[in-house]
Amino acid sequence: MADNQSKVIVGDDLNDEEDEDTQKDKFLTFHVGNEDYGIDIRYVTEIIGIQRITEIPDMPAFIKGVINLRGQVIPIMDVRTRFNLESRDYDDRTCIMVVNINQTSIGLVVDTVSEVIDIPESQIEPPPRAGKGTESRYLKGMGKVEDEVKILLDVNKLLFDDELEQIAK
Amino acid sequence: MPEEFDDELTQAFIQEGREFIEQLEPSIIELGQNCQEAVCWEMMNCDHSECPRHNKKLYIPCWLHTGFVDKGRGVCALAKSKQDCLSCRVFQATNGNNEKVNAIFRPFHSMKGTSGFLDFKAITQVTHTAENLLDLIRSGEIKFTRDHIDLLCRALDFIKEALDHVEDCLNDHALEAQANSLASTIQKAIEKAKAKCCPDEKSIAEADTPAAPAGDAGADIPADFRIEITPEMVKGFIEEADELLQQMEQGLLDWLKSPDDMGLISELFRAIHSFKGNCGFLSFKDLEELSQEMETLLEAVKSGISMDNNKAAELLLQLKDVLREAVADISQNGKGEIEGLAGHIKAIKGILPQGEPKSAEGEAPPFLGEILVSDGSVSKSDVDAALAEQERPLGEILINKSAATPEQIEQALAKQEEVKEKQGMDRRRVKRQDMRVDVDKLDSLINMIGELVIAKNMLVNNPDLEGMELEHFGKAAQQMNKIVQDLQESAMAIRMIPVAGLFRRMIRLVHDLSVKSGKKVDFKLKGEETEIDKTVIELISDPLVHLIRNSVDHGLEAPEERVKLGKPQLGYISLSASHEEGKILITIEDDGEGLNKEKILSKAISKGLVEGDGSNLSEEAIFGLIFLPGFSTAEKVTDVSGRGVGMDVVKRNVEKINGKIEVKSKKDCGTKFILHIPLTMAIIEGMMVRVGNCKYIIPIMSIKQNFQPSPEAITVTPDGQELVRVRENLIPIVRLHELYNVTPDHKKLHEGVLIIMEAHSMNVCLFVDELLGQQQTVIKGLSKYIGGARGVSGCTILGNGEICLILDAGSLMEGINIKNEA
Repeated sequence: MADNQSKVIVGDDLNDEEDEDTQKDKFLTFHVGNEDYGIDIRYVTEIIGIQRITEIPDMPAFIKGVINLRGQVIPIMDVRTRFNLESRDYDDRTCIMVVNINQTSIGLVVDTVSEVIDIPESQIEPPPRAGKGTESRYLKGMGKVEDEVKILLDVNKLLFDDELEQIAK
Repeated sequence: MPEEFDDELTQAFIQEGREFIEQLEPSIIELGQNCQEAVCWEMMNCDHSECPRHNKKLYIPCWLHTGFVDKGRGVCALAKSKQDCLSCRVFQATNGNNEKVNAIFRPFHSMKGTSGFLDFKAITQVTHTAENLLDLIRSGEIKFTRDHIDLLCRALDFIKEALDHVEDCLNDHALEAQANSLASTIQKAIEKAKAKCCPDEKSIAEADTPAAPAGDAGADIPADFRIEITPEMVKGFIEEADELLQQMEQGLLDWLKSPDDMGLISELFRAIHSFKGNCGFLSFKDLEELSQEMETLLEAVKSGISMDNNKAAELLLQLKDVLREAVADISQNGKGEIEGLAGHIKAIKGILPQGEPKSAEGEAPPFLGEILVSDGSVSKSDVDAALAEQERPLGEILINKSAATPEQIEQALAKQEEVKEKQGMDRRRVKRQDMRVDVDKLDSLINMIGELVIAKNMLVNNPDLEGMELEHFGKAAQQMNKIVQDLQESAMAIRMIPVAGLFRRMIRLVHDLSVKSGKKVDFKLKGEETEIDKTVIELISDPLVHLIRNSVDHGLEAPEERVKLGKPQLGYISLSASHEEGKILITIEDDGEGLNKEKILSKAISKGLVEGDGSNLSEEAIFGLIFLPGFSTAEKVTDVSGRGVGMDVVKRNVEKINGKIEVKSKKDCGTKFILHIPLTMAIIEGMMVRVGNCKYIIPIMSIKQNFQPSPEAITVTPDGQELVRVRENLIPIVRLHELYNVTPDHKKLHEGVLIIMEAHSMNVCLFVDELLGQQQTVIKGLSKYIGGARGVSGCTILGNGEICLILDAGSLMEGINIKNEA
């Protein structure tokens, strides 16, 4: 399954400060459910195909477990479950985006990964205030690309939300 | 001084200081233990009844009274000189063996020197007064008492603190007030001791006999220099000097290779500085003077004054040989005088830029002429004249001119030859290779080796290879297996350090405790050379402190009581380490009153820690109760222990490193705590079990037994808790498949396997489908992001790349309790 899927390394050195400029306004877009999302490229270290996940007891539903990434044990979060969307079976197109933030690596399971695009700051609207659910708190803004809208996620909030911290305790 | 040297020097100083303290502490305490109140006429069987000390116990020590030290009257029948007094058995028994006091004196002295140099005033002040105290003790001017030991220990504590402070802020200003008060305490103690030791004029006048010599033996030596140089001191000096010179030599040679390395200069500077200090201390004037000049030269180099560094290094190399010869001379009872001292100093001055730039010595050995001049055999002008018409060998010219005798030339030639030879040897000598490595780097290396082990397993047990006939591959794999294993072992060995350092620290602890509690303790260390992983050592330090405190405070009885019980007054505590089957045993044993079973039990019942009357509990289980939180049987709480915290912390710390504690105790005979510590924390011996298609690892350390139960052995309580009877015990059963929601092969208990695990002195049975076998497991943490999961202490990566959870008996048990309560 995972073996024949191409592995896209976005770059290991992306966190270097010198690269900050070239990474500015660049977002990796992906698809979950019916929407397009984007995250800041500088957090993304690599994208891998879905692998065997070892379950960990007593974790919230969106923490699927851990995988072995070249000897490193990293936890996996299912973005669908995180957004309270209906879960679906993983397939060939399911990807794990490995993000690194605060020296912690975490894999995010998304339906498909699309591309890296530029969204200048002027094209980003603040997140809607009158959000229905609580899920809008992970949002950083809405990026307009031509006539499409990409939902830009705040990785920090997505990963280190209060809810999760409580579970960790 | 430019800052970067400062930094480096400071780091070196801190490191060295800590090492000194580690060595000093035990030796100071040992010194204190060996020193006793000695009564001269008793000890020496002296029958001089006219002696004013006869049949009396006086505070003033004999050598200052009837002996020959300081204002002593010199009437002792058994001694004839100050030397006799200082080597007398009475002196050595009271003020300690000279060699040992010196061994303590020296580190204080060198610490003082370095801290003064680095301008750490507080440290300098304290080391200086401590040094003074020691000096007075060894020269016999005051009588050594136990108070002095405490003062010295306090000085060490202070320095320790100051070093920590220096490490953080690179200065010790904040501690100056503290240093002042400590120094003045020591100073007061010195004055008090001096006053007490001052010969009481009246009593001496009474005892005065006409036979008393009129002159005072020590009077003509100025007070500041009244240091008696003993052969031992000289020996110590020579040893140290050899070392320092060796260091210098290596440093100089390295410097020649890389003239810009300022770190080297600092090192050199320190070496020569210590050397100078030592020489000054033993008043080898010539050596001191020359090394002083060398120091000046190095200082100039350090401060960046431009000069020909190569020449400077060459010159210093030669001078170092001069120093070495002088030291060799001292070792053969010579006076350590340097011939041609002025010439050497001039050579240095010549290199220093402010002086006229004089041609310094060239490549290798000094020229014959220079040797002769510096020997004072011939004058410089003679040599110059000879050189001017040099066609024949210089020696011949000089003989012809009758400026030098043939013998002198011959000697000089021999010297030249010698120098050449020595330099050849110097180049071959290798420096002992020791280096300090950042622990993080080491950890990452060891981690990588852990990965390598996993990667190797993935390769060798690759599922793609299944069913293939691969003879050559098999061989290669085996070879690789072996190499990887060796690599892993040697990487582990890097982290291993002997427990000696940890054990030595306990000497101080026992000393302090015994002073506080008034119990005398004979503290024995065994197996100090046993090596354990450094992290493990750090983690068992606290538990050890707790256990030893308990032994002294609760274990050992007060001296009177011991005598009543027919035990020796001196309590006995031993701390030992040994290897056993891939783990380390650390044993703390005392011969105190032992654990009181009844008392522990009744206390536990009254605190509700045990249900019922506890008659069903085994001895082991009762002793295990002391590790429960909040448990203490001590009737009185001392400031040392007895508050009931501690033992549970001990247990928790030991379990944290996958170890366990065993308690053995017999009433009135003593208690023995045995810590079973794994060699390393990175790898455990694990049992792999299977439930359905999930695999888990259980640490072998926590497995007591596994068996297939018969259906009759199982009882189910009304609330659904299953219990299994094992001999006389009923143990609760945890079905792993229920806990982790997996589909098992077997649901009936007698079809699967039960594993009895122990934690917190309780047992629990884990129900699994099958045991898969024992294996070495490299522990990996679950991600920080996840934190802890119930019943899991970490995970490992199996040969096929799968992740497998490592179960932890302790937290499994907590999980069950929660379940039961809910």
